[in-house]
Amino acid sequence: MRDTGHKLTLKAEGLDSCSIMKPIKTPRSVDIEITNDCNLRCKYCYHFTGPGDVREDVPTGEWLSFFEELGRCAVMDVYIEGGEPFFREDLRELIDGVVKNRMRFKLLSNGTLITDEAASYIASTGRCDNVQVSIDGGSPQTHDLSRGKGSFHRAVAGINILRKHQIPVGARVTINRHNVRGLDEIAKFLLDDIGLPAFSTNSAGPMGLCRQNQEEMGLTVEDRQIAMESLLSLNKKYNGRIKAQAGPLADARQWRMMEQARREGRAQLPNCGFLSGCGGVMDKMAVRADGVMTPCTQMSHIELGRINRDDLMEVWQHHPELKRLRERAAIPLSTFEFCKGCEYMHYCTGNCPALAYATLKEDNHPSPDACLKRFLEAGGTIPE
Amino acid sequence: MLTEESKPVVNQRIVLREESDDWAILFDPDTSGTYGLNPVAVYIWKCLDGKNTIADIVRKLGKECKDMPDDAVNHVKAFVDELIEKGYAGYGT
Repeated sequence: MRDTGHKLTLKAEGLDSCSIMKPIKTPRSVDIEITNDCNLRCKYCYHFTGPGDVREDVPTGEWLSFFEELGRCAVMDVYIEGGEPFFREDLRELIDGVVKNRMRFKLLSNGTLITDEAASYIASTGRCDNVQVSIDGGSPQTHDLSRGKGSFHRAVAGINILRKHQIPVGARVTINRHNVRGLDEIAKFLLDDIGLPAFSTNSAGPMGLCRQNQEEMGLTVEDRQIAMESLLSLNKKYNGRIKAQAGPLADARQWRMMEQARREGRAQLPNCGFLSGCGGVMDKMAVRADGVMTPCTQMSHIELGRINRDDLMEVWQHHPELKRLRERAAIPLSTFEFCKGCEYMHYCTGNCPALAYATLKEDNHPSPDACLKRFLEAGGTIPE
Repeated sequence: MLTEESKPVVNQRIVLREESDDWAILFDPDTSGTYGLNPVAVYIWKCLDGKNTIADIVRKLGKECKDMPDDAVNHVKAFVDELIEKGYAGYGT
């Protein structure tokens, strides 16, 4: 029996009022690596060394069947990535499948293979939220060092084609040792010269090819310090047009908040003191190019099932590995030897489980890469 | 205009996304628009199949719900009107 209460209330006041603590029935969003192939070999790419990096992509028909299942599950959007999604000749057919099944989409690309015809088609669907193009320098000299000769001009040409067709472009700058001292040049190029509304940043993490090229690409403590200070300053200059959910800018913001909480002697920050660093498994999941479902593109070693063989809703609701990852948030940081004696423990989330796994082969652990205490012990300081 | 004879029908383009505890979101993939529904509204949405008038829906709701207000029909009509105005449903026949 439904309880209407005293008044027949028929709608929520807004989605913000829906605080959903337990997993929803189906994922809202799915990251789909439609191919492992890519025309570039960027030196920090998290691909090409993992268990899903096989050279057998799911054929068109299988993806289309899976998109029908996503439609039945009322998934709202898919993030089409790779490899390089524009490398697939059937990309248009795949996007058709997404659109037909009442979903929106985003594309993640290196930008170099985007043609006028492809952009025209994407724009015609009216369902593309944005195409994220990786730009790692304000000039070929910087960008091409990590992404290959000629890639800068081709990526910028790709951005221009997208903009010509009024497709929202989300530039992503992956901060690495080659570009960390040129962030002002990158910001000027993307925001002033090209005139993008914003761009986002992260950093080359210790996974995939970056692990092999750590010496050349990975950020040192000094590099991270420079990146944090530069990005905070640039973001002020550009009125918040630089975004970050991970990497130096996100760390700088989080660490400043943690330091302030420590100075004020606060008991705890909301949702902190536990392994609560990732909420991704509560509303999204991923599929590798070989059709294996995983919790996240960066946790491709956790195989949850296979598309069109295993039921998506069943996997989403009942797979023990997803359940385990969702329950991470109940594990207190105080139980880890790693966190013993840390005065920031009650203001910390343990950060990204994929990064923890990449470093320690253990995801139920705080990520050493994002640990403020370690950063300070290694000579870093929290930017003002 | 919604009349007593109208049998409203949902716009097939709109996605009903049931989340948890019988709450749901209506999602328009063409605009990214979303609209939150409580369980009673979800029930009504599912009745918008082109076969039920507002009176039919209220009658069905009465069998499912307790504490139905006397003016339930007005609430249901207003809700369906709003869905039609947003393009999420049509008048039907």
